[in-house]
Amino acid sequence: MLITNPVGVLSLSKREILRFISLANQTVFPPIVSSTLFMYIFGVALGSRIDFGLSGITYLGFIVPGLMTMHLISSSYENTSSSLFIARWHNHIQEVLLSPLSYFEMVLGLLAGGVARGVVVLLGVYVSSLIFTPIPIAHPFILTYFILMIAMIFSCAGMLGALWAEDFGMLSVWNVYLIIPLVLLGGVFHPIDMLPEPVQVLSQFNPMFYLVQGIRFSVTGMIQTSLVSCILVALIMALFSFYMAVYLFKIGYKLRV
Amino acid sequence: MRNSDIAVSIKNLTKFYGDLKALDNVNFEVKRGDFFAFLGPNGAGKTTTINILTGLSNYNAGEVRVFGYNTTIEYQQTRRLLGLCAQEFNFDPFLTIHQLLVYQAGYFGITPGSASKRADELLARFQLTEKRNCKHRALSGGMKKRLLLCRALIHDPEVLILDEPTAGCDLELKYLIWDYLAQLNNEGKTIFLTTHNMEEAEKLCKTIGIINQGRIVRIGEKRAVLQDKSLEDVFLEVTGGE
Repeated sequence: MLITNPVGVLSLSKREILRFISLANQTVFPPIVSSTLFMYIFGVALGSRIDFGLSGITYLGFIVPGLMTMHLISSSYENTSSSLFIARWHNHIQEVLLSPLSYFEMVLGLLAGGVARGVVVLLGVYVSSLIFTPIPIAHPFILTYFILMIAMIFSCAGMLGALWAEDFGMLSVWNVYLIIPLVLLGGVFHPIDMLPEPVQVLSQFNPMFYLVQGIRFSVTGMIQTSLVSCILVALIMALFSFYMAVYLFKIGYKLRV
Repeated sequence: MRNSDIAVSIKNLTKFYGDLKALDNVNFEVKRGDFFAFLGPNGAGKTTTINILTGLSNYNAGEVRVFGYNTTIEYQQTRRLLGLCAQEFNFDPFLTIHQLLVYQAGYFGITPGSASKRADELLARFQLTEKRNCKHRALSGGMKKRLLLCRALIHDPEVLILDEPTAGCDLELKYLIWDYLAQLNNEGKTIFLTTHNMEEAEKLCKTIGIINQGRIVRIGEKRAVLQDKSLEDVFLEVTGGE
């Protein structure tokens, strides 16, 4: 799985990155604006009145890493899912399929767009949080690890969603009915121990919980589970989703008839 | 290239769409430098064969090689050697036509500077320079046809595959395309052409293959296939048309 066509991978990556930049009003600014409003309403206006049971951190400081994770996930997913699905819809995916890029390289090129958009949006959310309160990053290297793993997981998941979908309605099904609910239940806005005990147990099986916890630990230094389990869950999910994306390209799932 | 004499080799190729047998044990070869016309009625299996050759379709049995490389196992090598001018207009709607060609060249490993130069040459050759910074939606049908050709040629492929390249073109454009294809063939490029235009096939091609209901029903050098008949007569005879 080596890169034998670096110029090809860079070309595809560049196309994917410039595509979302050229549509920044749809792809970059909306999540930053909505998180800024979340931070103001829930963090600043209501946050001082919320007793969420954790000391040493404000409610705003608690939700910022959660919002970063949520938008990293949705932006990465939306980028690859929309780009690949539109390419299938217009059939200009043939431009890539006819090229000498390996299937590994095709996935890598598409992945670059998803990762870049996720990172840009995450940075935007973090920077906008500085308007309200300074939140120093406790563990920048661990944060980098989780950002890259999470962006990779959901960029690849976006490709799987784009290959599976038959129309624009199906394209958002995974995101709306699975990913976003799991992320919200994974502790974006609340510590997990605020939930009833049976739900707390269920949360241990929610992979998004570990991803949110990983980012929160990296930013605040606080964690409600084991860091090693967060690192492993992120790594396993990233490798599995990447492998699945390459595999589906290789067998031509809904790409070749 | 591993095998310099045979550009395209198709052996025992079979393809099903569900229960429908689209290709039934198809066998033929196209020599390097040939101008091969691949003819057949609608639904005979021409586009399916092209799609399998270029890697856009899977197949159920057989083997397809381009200059000796297996199109399934050594797909990166075969795709470098092939350029496809498809029937449908399938361009990225977000890009200008110049960007579209530069990115396409990039996928083939051509660096941006060389790609831009090559794109400008092709746009000039096909009289599209004025539209360089337009998106494909701003082009007429004939211009889009020419853009398809530019895209197929951007990486200077050894084998150019054309799926009805002049369908819907006016006379002037048709002659422009014919002249260019003849020139490319004279320069040594192998051309694999499907068309419903018998005049086009008879005028340009050296070798003719006719497929009907997924089977090759006639193949050979033009003179041997025609035997003093018109191509249209031969075509109707072997495909059972009237």
